[in-house]
Amino acid sequence: MDSSNKEIVKFITPFPMTELQKNIVKNKLSRIGNIDQMIFQEEVDTSLIGGIIIIFGEMLIDCSLRTQLDKIKEGMI
Amino acid sequence: MISIDRSIIFQIINFLVLVALLFRFLFKPVVQALDKRSNHIREEMEKIEKEKKAAEEMRLKYEEESKNIQIKFQEMQELANQEAVRIKSKIIDEAYQESEKIKQTAEEKARIEIDKLYSELKLDIIDISTEMAAKLLHERIDISKQDQLIEQLLEEAIGKIEIKSDVQYGQQQ
Repeated sequence: MDSSNKEIVKFITPFPMTELQKNIVKNKLSRIGNIDQMIFQEEVDTSLIGGIIIIFGEMLIDCSLRTQLDKIKEGMI
Repeated sequence: MISIDRSIIFQIINFLVLVALLFRFLFKPVVQALDKRSNHIREEMEKIEKEKKAAEEMRLKYEEESKNIQIKFQEMQELANQEAVRIKSKIIDEAYQESEKIKQTAEEKARIEIDKLYSELKLDIIDISTEMAAKLLHERIDISKQDQLIEQLLEEAIGKIEIKSDVQYGQQQ
C-alpha cells in the first residue's frame, strides 16, 4: 500500500499514550474511517489535563478536559 | 324877671361852635381812624382765619397723602414679601432639582462602577475556580482515569460523528 495516500491522524494527549489507549482510539476511529489508511502521530500537551484531541484531516475531535472546562467557564460568563 | 347875661349867651354859642368844630375836626377823624383800624383788624383776623383754614386743609391733605403713602408702602412691602417668598421657593426648588440630578448622576456612576467591579470580580472568581478545578483534575488524573476519559469522551464524539454521517447519507439518498 502506498504510504503517500495515507492520511495523517494526530493524537494530542496530556500524557504519553499507552498501548491500551492507542487501541481504544483506533477502535473508535475504525467506525468512521479506514485505520489502515491512517498514519498516527502522537504529541503530549500537559495543558489538556485529561482526555484527547484528534486531528483527522480537516476534522478536529476535541475530547480534552481543558476544552470541557473552557466551555463550563464560557457558560458561567 | 330873669335877666340873661349876654356874655352867657355868647359863651353858650362859643361852646356850641367849639363842640361843632371838635366834632368836625377831632371826633370824626378819630372815629374814622378807629373804624379804619377796626376794619384792618377784622381783615387781618379774616386773613389769619383763612390762612388757618388753609393750613388745616394743608395738614389734612398731608395726613391723607401720608396715609396713602403708608398704604402704598405697606402694599409694596407685601408685594416685596410675596416676591421674596416666590424667589425663595424658586431657589429652593431649583436647588432641590439640582441636588436630585447630582444624586441621580452619582447613583448612576456608582451603579456602573459596582456593575463593573461585580463583572471583574465574577470573571476573577470564574478564572480562579476553573484554574483550581484544572489544577485539582491535573493532580487526580492518572493512567486509568485517562483510559476512562478517552473511552467515554471519544465514544460520545464518535457517536455524534456517526449520527451526522447517517443524516448526511440519508439526505443524499
